[in-house]
Amino acid sequence: MSDFLNYLIIGLTRGSMYALIALGYTLVYGILQLINFAHGEVFMSGAFGSYIIVHAIVGDKNNTASWMVPFVFMIGLLSGAVVGAAVAWSLEQIAYRPLRRRGAPKLAFLISAIGMSFFLQQFAGKLFNRFSNNQFPNYFAVHHHLFKIAGAPVETIQVTIIVAAVLMMIFLDRLVSKTKLGRGIRGVAEDAPTAALMGINIDKTISRTFIIGGALGGAAGFMFGTAFVFSNTMGFAAGTKAFAAAVLGGIGNIRGAMLGGLLIGVVENVVPTAPWNGSTQWIGLQWVDVVSFIVLVLVLIFRPTGILGERLGRAA
Amino acid sequence: MRFTKIEAKRLVACLVAGLMLAMMIGNQEGVQNDFGYGFRQSLKFPRVAIFLAIGLVLYVLITLFDRIRPYLLRPGIRPLFAGLLSVLSSFLLLHWTDSASVGDQKFGTISSKANATKGLATSAKLYFGSHLGWILLIAAVVLSALAIILSNKVIAIAGAVVAVVGGFWGYFAHGLLSDFLGVPDHSTGAWVALLGFLSIGAAALFVVLSKEDVAQTRYFANRLINWRPGLPLVVAGLIIGLISLIQSTWFAPNSRNATLIDTHNAFRGTGLAPLAVQYLIWLGWLLFIVTLLAAGAASYLRIRALGLVAAVIGAASILITLVTMYDFSKVAAQAGVDGATGPWQNLGVGGWLACTAFLLIGGGGYLAASPGRRPATAVSSDVLGSAEPKQRQVADTKAAISTGLANGRTLLFVVLAVALFYPPMANGFWQKALVTDIGIYVLLAVGLNVVVGWAGLLDLGFIAFYAIGSYMTAYLTYALPHRPPSWLHLSPLWAIPFAIVACLIAGVALGAPTLRLRGDYLAIVTLGFGEIIRLFAVNNPGNITNGPKGAFGIPNPVIHIGPLKLVWGQNQLQYWYLLLVLVVIIVVLFNRLENSRLGRAWAAVREDEVAAQATGINTTRVKLLAFAIGASTSGVAGVFFASQIGYINPDNFVLNNSFLVVAYVVFGGMGSLPGAMAGAAALTWLPDFLKDQVPASDRYMWVGAILVVMMIFRPEGLIPARRRRAELSGLDAPASAEARAVPASEGL
Repeated sequence: MSDFLNYLIIGLTRGSMYALIALGYTLVYGILQLINFAHGEVFMSGAFGSYIIVHAIVGDKNNTASWMVPFVFMIGLLSGAVVGAAVAWSLEQIAYRPLRRRGAPKLAFLISAIGMSFFLQQFAGKLFNRFSNNQFPNYFAVHHHLFKIAGAPVETIQVTIIVAAVLMMIFLDRLVSKTKLGRGIRGVAEDAPTAALMGINIDKTISRTFIIGGALGGAAGFMFGTAFVFSNTMGFAAGTKAFAAAVLGGIGNIRGAMLGGLLIGVVENVVPTAPWNGSTQWIGLQWVDVVSFIVLVLVLIFRPTGILGERLGRAA
Repeated sequence: MRFTKIEAKRLVACLVAGLMLAMMIGNQEGVQNDFGYGFRQSLKFPRVAIFLAIGLVLYVLITLFDRIRPYLLRPGIRPLFAGLLSVLSSFLLLHWTDSASVGDQKFGTISSKANATKGLATSAKLYFGSHLGWILLIAAVVLSALAIILSNKVIAIAGAVVAVVGGFWGYFAHGLLSDFLGVPDHSTGAWVALLGFLSIGAAALFVVLSKEDVAQTRYFANRLINWRPGLPLVVAGLIIGLISLIQSTWFAPNSRNATLIDTHNAFRGTGLAPLAVQYLIWLGWLLFIVTLLAAGAASYLRIRALGLVAAVIGAASILITLVTMYDFSKVAAQAGVDGATGPWQNLGVGGWLACTAFLLIGGGGYLAASPGRRPATAVSSDVLGSAEPKQRQVADTKAAISTGLANGRTLLFVVLAVALFYPPMANGFWQKALVTDIGIYVLLAVGLNVVVGWAGLLDLGFIAFYAIGSYMTAYLTYALPHRPPSWLHLSPLWAIPFAIVACLIAGVALGAPTLRLRGDYLAIVTLGFGEIIRLFAVNNPGNITNGPKGAFGIPNPVIHIGPLKLVWGQNQLQYWYLLLVLVVIIVVLFNRLENSRLGRAWAAVREDEVAAQATGINTTRVKLLAFAIGASTSGVAGVFFASQIGYINPDNFVLNNSFLVVAYVVFGGMGSLPGAMAGAAALTWLPDFLKDQVPASDRYMWVGAILVVMMIFRPEGLIPARRRRAELSGLDAPASAEARAVPASEGL
């Protein structure tokens, strides 16, 4: 039982990060009906960018005073979000806006996104490094066991990530359903020409959507970096997984992306490790990706619009 | 001049672009302990100033573009720029020799070494060592540009003379260099520089001719070409043939670059077969002249029978040339001439150029013989002498140009000549690249074009079928732990039908449940499928795939039917020709498919699925067929890959490759067969080309950047399909930017 809970908590941690990335996919899909394939790279640049900023502010100290820990975490989240937002914004400016102006076919967007993804991945590799095991200095004891649930230890970082992710998701949900910007996003998603007639600046709305999605992705990048290792190629796997999560929940649906992310995270960690009694696992962790994709395919076959259904342009 | 907000934005963007370039260009790399290292290295003071200056220049150019534009529309500017660019790329990027003794084999390295080298002819020393090449280039460009801007005929002639001198001096200096180094030469630098210089010279000459002269000349040339199909091919063949017979190296063992007649001298008294001896002395020339005369007369006088004769003689001449080359390379090894190594070895480019010439001339004859469609504009009464209004003439000229360029059959012969006779002229590196990178991915792109381009289904897991084909081959050739029954132990080529069936089954199994889904969902499902197949190969359940180690010892292809026995070994050329046969078969089949009932059904489904269904098309079946046909093509490529490379492992089938194939198809032009092939060839060639230009690990950064730039400036791809082009450029007035802000269509 404790094993099960353990994997469940790990799954929730990963899932909340997938959910944050998936929100970026789903927002962009909702508004442009495009798969932003370079979004995984936004996540990656969030990790590297936050590292540079946090490192510049805090330095190389290994054990920060405990009162500073929340501040460091906040700085990290913020810097990750800012860098992610900046990358996502320039992505939209360079790779999407000129194509929109020309009315390019949909696949052209996909290709320029793939090109941008290659570029960002290798560019980060060139600028920072190409090693696969970069780690944040241990600013706070990330793997400190905070408490136990029925025998399963819960680490500080897991609690922090889940709480931060849930807070951000609530914030986004409120933003999209209550504010003027959110109304604009929903309007453009529903019917762009009509929204334009109603006085919504489409270009601005689109780039703000990218900024919001990028900020969430970049923050997730920082979380991922603190909890695990980060590298210039980490965006690809996480990106595909998050995209699968967005589709699973119903693409374009914001709550769907959150649910899909958590679900993918939990399923991929809980299912392959069964039975959870310490003996040999039936499937094994090497089948993680296969399990999550099979779940996705099954859901799509039996409910082709995703779990919560596509609700383009609606918060829930 | 007011400095508006837009200009400020532009300035910032240009400066940022300069900084980005500063970070992209160069050898600097980040290190693990210090993430800022790469930044600091790339943004050091003197270095960063250069790139900021580039940004500023960019800003000035964009800002002043409206004022510059009138100059850019002058006749001659385009060839001037094209020439300048090709000479620059030749001087900066391309190889000028194949000798390993010259560092990176580029112009700059040769320049820095030329003066210190003893024994190099003076004119070559001057050209390379004293920067004469650069001086001539700058002089030619400046003179031509001045002539064009000032419309001055004297300067124009001077510029043209300088350009011609620069081009040919460089070409002969390169020849002297090759003789001096004594290494068989496969480099392209001198050729490109020559063409570039000639283009600059031609640009200058545009000024000497008045506008009317230019229009008339063009008109005359186009009428000539259109009225007499095949003539351009014959002329190209004439030039290439002359170069081959007079100047090129035919036989190149150790430290010897023998031209046609030198080759004959080298084989005096070695017992070379009489046919080859006669060929080297006079038969080669005779065949060349006879074919040329026949084809030229046939196409000029439009005598069909003579054209057929020329085509037949051309084909026979190719055979005779090949036999001669085989003969003397074999005899050279037996008689030990200069340490020659065996049949088909030690050959220079001369023989292959001769084959190219014969193919082009014969092709010209064939075109003259086959009844082609005549362009409508060229049939009117003789316009040159009549007093038709000039505008009409210009319009006619334009129409003639477009129909002339659209004459696909001429192009087909050129492509055929390059595909058949370029690979043997290339060096080992490019031969390998042609087979393992370019050829295989062209095949894959042709397959994916059916799925993505014609049926409009986004398949992001295409490499999975390639993997299935490869593993099927490995299984059938006993290279995997589990073995098939012995009656199923096959040679690789017999695995093709099995691989096709396996991929058909896999394609249908994947497609049947998922093809109901919308485009984007299909994309993610296929992506998942691709990843599952790879993970299956890695995780190796039941020891089926031998895990990450992969399959070893897959035999090379063999064809053994009766007396015919073909064995493929280590030579890449053999694989190239096998691949060529496969590609040609598949392209011919698919070309028939495109306009068949099924092809039209695909187009209908792609454009509007609901409407297609309403007209009675079984959309699921049609989509499934597209999926299966694409998959089986991929499977054929897999068989070829496995048997060529001999060992496979899951790393050959990563997801990135699937993305790349989609990128090739879209880059080339979705839904157009030549486009998909050109896109795949261009984008697989690019990393191999970049190998010499940028640090190896940065190659895909540049490929990504080029993809983005291409999509921004030419979203329809290199060679767009006719239908797609009409969609993009629009038959009616373009919609406003606001209305097009969001792509409306649901399909691809």
